[in-house]
Amino acid sequence: MSSYTLFLLLGLGSGAIYAVLALGLVLKYRSAGVVDFGHSATAMFIAYVYLFLRENGTVQLPWTILPHEFTLTGSEMGTAPAMILALIYAAVMGLIMYVLIYRPLRHATPLARICASVGVMLYLQAVAVLNFGSQPKSTPNILPNSPLQVAGITVPVDRLWLAGLVVVLAAALWAVYRFTRFGLATRAAAENEEGAAVIGLSADRIAAVNWVIATVIAGLAGILIAPIATIQPASYTLFIVPALAVALVARFQSFAIAAAAGLALGMLQSEVTKVVSVLSWLPQEGLPQALPFLVIVIGMTLLAKRMASRGEIVVQRNPSLGRPSRPYATTAMCFAIGTLALVATHGSLRFALISSFIWICLSLSLVVLTGYVGQVSLAQMAFAGISAFCLTHIADQLGIGFPFSMILASLAAVPLGLIVGLPALRLRGVNLAVVTIAAALVLDSLVFNWTWFTGGLGGTKVGNPNLLGWDLGVAHGSDYPRVIFGIFTLAVVCGVGLLVARLRGAPAGRMMIAVRSNERAAAAAGINVGRTKLFAFGLSSWIAGLGGVLFAYAQQTVSPPTFETFSSLTLVAIAFVAGVGRIGGAVFAGIMMASTGLFVSFLDREFSIGKYQLVVAGLLLTITAIKQPDGVAANPPPPLVAAWRWLNGKLSSGPLNSHRPVAESER
Amino acid sequence: MEPRSLNPGRESQTREPGSALLSASNLRVTYGPVVAVDDLNLEVSEGSVVGLIGPNGAGKTTAIDALTGYHPLTAGRVLFKGAEITKMRPYRRARAGLGRTFQSVELFDDLTVEENLQVAADHLGIGRALGDLFLPIRGRSREGVEWALSLCDLGDVADRMPKELSAGQRKLAGVARALAQRPRLVLLDEPAAGLDTDESVELGKRLRTMPEAGVSVLIVDHDMSLVLGICDEIHVLDFGKSIAHGTPAQIRDNDDVISAYLGGERVGHVG
Repeated sequence: MSSYTLFLLLGLGSGAIYAVLALGLVLKYRSAGVVDFGHSATAMFIAYVYLFLRENGTVQLPWTILPHEFTLTGSEMGTAPAMILALIYAAVMGLIMYVLIYRPLRHATPLARICASVGVMLYLQAVAVLNFGSQPKSTPNILPNSPLQVAGITVPVDRLWLAGLVVVLAAALWAVYRFTRFGLATRAAAENEEGAAVIGLSADRIAAVNWVIATVIAGLAGILIAPIATIQPASYTLFIVPALAVALVARFQSFAIAAAAGLALGMLQSEVTKVVSVLSWLPQEGLPQALPFLVIVIGMTLLAKRMASRGEIVVQRNPSLGRPSRPYATTAMCFAIGTLALVATHGSLRFALISSFIWICLSLSLVVLTGYVGQVSLAQMAFAGISAFCLTHIADQLGIGFPFSMILASLAAVPLGLIVGLPALRLRGVNLAVVTIAAALVLDSLVFNWTWFTGGLGGTKVGNPNLLGWDLGVAHGSDYPRVIFGIFTLAVVCGVGLLVARLRGAPAGRMMIAVRSNERAAAAAGINVGRTKLFAFGLSSWIAGLGGVLFAYAQQTVSPPTFETFSSLTLVAIAFVAGVGRIGGAVFAGIMMASTGLFVSFLDREFSIGKYQLVVAGLLLTITAIKQPDGVAANPPPPLVAAWRWLNGKLSSGPLNSHRPVAESER
Repeated sequence: MEPRSLNPGRESQTREPGSALLSASNLRVTYGPVVAVDDLNLEVSEGSVVGLIGPNGAGKTTAIDALTGYHPLTAGRVLFKGAEITKMRPYRRARAGLGRTFQSVELFDDLTVEENLQVAADHLGIGRALGDLFLPIRGRSREGVEWALSLCDLGDVADRMPKELSAGQRKLAGVARALAQRPRLVLLDEPAAGLDTDESVELGKRLRTMPEAGVSVLIVDHDMSLVLGICDEIHVLDFGKSIAHGTPAQIRDNDDVISAYLGGERVGHVG
């Protein structure tokens, strides 16, 4: 019995972190209307800043390549001064982030804000991996840690300290926002931005101050958890998921609920760890991590029907849509160009080209979902992964032959897509993004850790696609990667591209775009809004599943890391930057931006800069969200347009007639 | 061309003129403690143009929202074509033939005018829409679109995006979208707001021809000459209650109506 209590108390540690991070999220949402996906990444970075200050007195700057370290004292620093300096650093960083990123986005759509903060998250995480390495680092204790005997069990006292700190912090925040003039001004600005401006409050300045406070609190959380959790870029960054779950339960409004829910979640997770170790029939991996998802779904659909909306001035603007003019001819031409490119390349570059095709397919899944129907999913790679692993089972264990195994495996992602899409019937924008990232994490931690399903760390082998004795596989003897596999991939992707292009002008596409534009009016036009969204989720997850199957064939061995949560985020990032409303955008994302794709592989081979891909993607994502919410493809670089026109000119005399550019802009 | 012939399938469906198409009884709608519509009884008979007028805040738009399922009823029931639709969801009412427009137009900004109409005319279930992706359905539901475009004189701007239209054209496009789904009854929420006098008169003429094409009309508007000019019957709302009901001539002379519009005490005959 006492060991259950012990686990409950041990959970106070992580619970406190969730709570403190959630307090910061609440603060940022209340003051600036931003759900900051980069919040825990910021905490992580500040923790590193503290660590290096303390260990060798150097200051770490949040970039790479350029000099990013300078020496302050040159020797070890005490805990207290290092902490104070790190928190000042956090304040400055918070202010700069607000002014550079979130202030320009204050009238932008929720999607743009999400993408910008996801960009920050990817950027900080990638910089941390490059500058500090991905090995966990530990720091000495900050809080008292002498064991305490209470009622026969030994309690680690630092957990109690952390929990106490959370309560004090929440109470202080509550008091500040309840009783001070500043708190009143913040609330006024959150409720009615325009009204606040009329009575002479600068919503902007108020938001900036709040942002600084929230960043300092995040930094504090990062520093205090370091001795317990050890600092590591990815795991720290993903604290955002439970923190968002907690903030959601608090409806992004209540400090008290955020504090209580955070502690409760940590204790629950810890208790589940204990229960799992006792009950051997439960899945041994990932159940504690899966819990936040349940909290999110329950919190979302039952408690928080709608997140309290802020009375802000929003210029509603979805990413603009392309209008494919001659889908069949354009597809045929793309197929021809792709085939030529496959023949012209060889070795690693040809493989990179094939990878690009697959990334195009994955990006197309977002063109349907985010572009056409305006929904967000941060779980696309998880869908792809489900299909990839299903392929291994369907083909090898059930012995189902090639075209059918591929079709069945890709369809396996659809039920999951629908389940993840269900909350979309009641949620939109930010809330939906939170649910989908949680779903990705659950699939990641629960399903992809399931050894029977995935074959463990080594992964599972996949047989070559074999059409009536015709081997389409990627390798045959020493022949690798084979052109025929490239053409097979290209054909599948062209088929998907054609489907998505046709969708734009088809009744189903019109319904989607109507729903994206205006749900009230869509219902008045006789459209079942909920079913249309689910349809888009289903179609999108099927396309993502196809991408996963192609990955499986290309890599021959399917293993979980390909489909981890960060891949999903990266996919959204590149698809959005490239232009999520256009097929040209998906092509651009696959060829130019994917880390294993053609352009980055080429750069990596020639100049070995591939490792900076995430840094650049994160940075570009944030900049695009601010500067060009329609994506690169909406206003393609002039040389690209010229090349496309030239190609069209060459071919227009031929049987293909004239085409307008895929990436043509509408206006 | 005779509009009727452009609106196929109408004739066979049209019931006897004069029978109740929409009938709402004892409607009550509340926003928290505020009663927006109080015990409203309303009937639109087949082939008629009915007006719903009243001063600002009288509950006219709320009544439309309640009739089309956009706002829940606290009490009362709604019958359409003889069947109860009180709890039906908005999109189902639209498919059943109850069209509506919005005060703020609310066109689909990412679709052309024609596509705006087409999406309303399609009325495809998701299954059919999916099938269409792989095996296109050709030549469907063009008639409703053509009819609505010509009735609202939008043929020239069919390929434009909504933001390229003038305010008047946007209003008309909103009406056309509701008509493109070939409704039996269309509820128009201030279609003339923002139109100049000529445009308003022109709109009135078009609306007057709609019963011939098998579309009955319930219109809410502030333009008195429009409403009094085209309606067969008018209901007057004030503070959520129906204060008068009758032909345009009766309404024009009704003391309650005059005082509701001018406010304050009853002032007998004015101007």
